[in-house]
Amino acid sequence: MRLKAPGEMIKLRINCREAHELLSRQHDTALHWSERLALHLHLRVCDWCRTVQRNLAFLSRAVRRLDY
Amino acid sequence: MRAPEQSSSAQTIADLRPMLLRIARLQLRNEAWAEDAVSETIVAAMEGMSAFRGRSQLRTWVVGILKHKIIDQIRRHSREVAIEAQQQVDEGEALDELFDASGHRASAPHDWGDPESALARSEFFAVLQACIDELPAPLGRVFLLREWLELDTMQICKELQVTSTNCFVMLYRARMRLRECLEARWFAAQGARRND
Repeated sequence: MRLKAPGEMIKLRINCREAHELLSRQHDTALHWSERLALHLHLRVCDWCRTVQRNLAFLSRAVRRLDY
Repeated sequence: MRAPEQSSSAQTIADLRPMLLRIARLQLRNEAWAEDAVSETIVAAMEGMSAFRGRSQLRTWVVGILKHKIIDQIRRHSREVAIEAQQQVDEGEALDELFDASGHRASAPHDWGDPESALARSEFFAVLQACIDELPAPLGRVFLLREWLELDTMQICKELQVTSTNCFVMLYRARMRLRECLEARWFAAQGARRND
C-alpha cells in the first residue's frame, strides 16, 4: 500500500531492516511523521521488531548508568 | 589555614586519575589523546577547586570537566577522526546477515526477560563495557558521545565532520552490534542458567 503525497511517495510498508534503522534513528532525531506511521504499523504486526525496540531502549538506559 | 584543605582536595582529584583515564581511553580510543584530556581535566579541576562546593559530588563534577576535555580532543583531532569515520561507513557492514534478501530478520531476537535486574549487577556492566570496547573505534566514539555523553546528534556530526546520514548509519551499526553482543554474552547465558 502506498499513499501519494504532493511531491513525494509516502512509503507505509517497511520491512524489518528498515524498521530497525528507524528504531535506532528515533534515539537520535525526530522521525518524519510518515516514518513514525510506517514504524508504528510495522511494530503492530512484528513481535521481533518490538523486542528489538525494547532492547534498544534498555541499551540506552544501561549505557547512561555505566560507572567507572 | 587553608593550605592543608587545598592540598587534600588536590590529592582527591589526583586519586580520580585512573578512573578518568579509563573513561577517556574508552571514549577516545587513543592513548595520547586520552592522556591529554585527563591532564587538562586535572589541571582545570585544581584551578577551579575554589569554585567547587559540595565535596560529595566532586567525582561527578570532575567527570563533567572531563566530558568537555574529551570533546576538545575530538575537535583538535577532527581530521583524523573524520577520516576513520568515513572509512568505517565505506567499509559496509556484516550486519546484512541479520536480515534476509527481502529485509526480514533471519532469526528471532531473544526475549531478554527482565533486563532491569541486570542493572544491579556489576558483571553486567563489565560485559557491556567489553562489548563497547570491541566496537571499531569510530563506532565506539560516536555511540558513547551520543548515549553516554548525551550530546546532540547534530553536534556530534559536526564535531566528527561527517554527514548526518553517516552519523545515523554509525549509530545504527553500533547499536545493532551491541544488541547482538549483549544478547550473546549476557542474556542468552542468563536464560540458559534460568532454564537449568
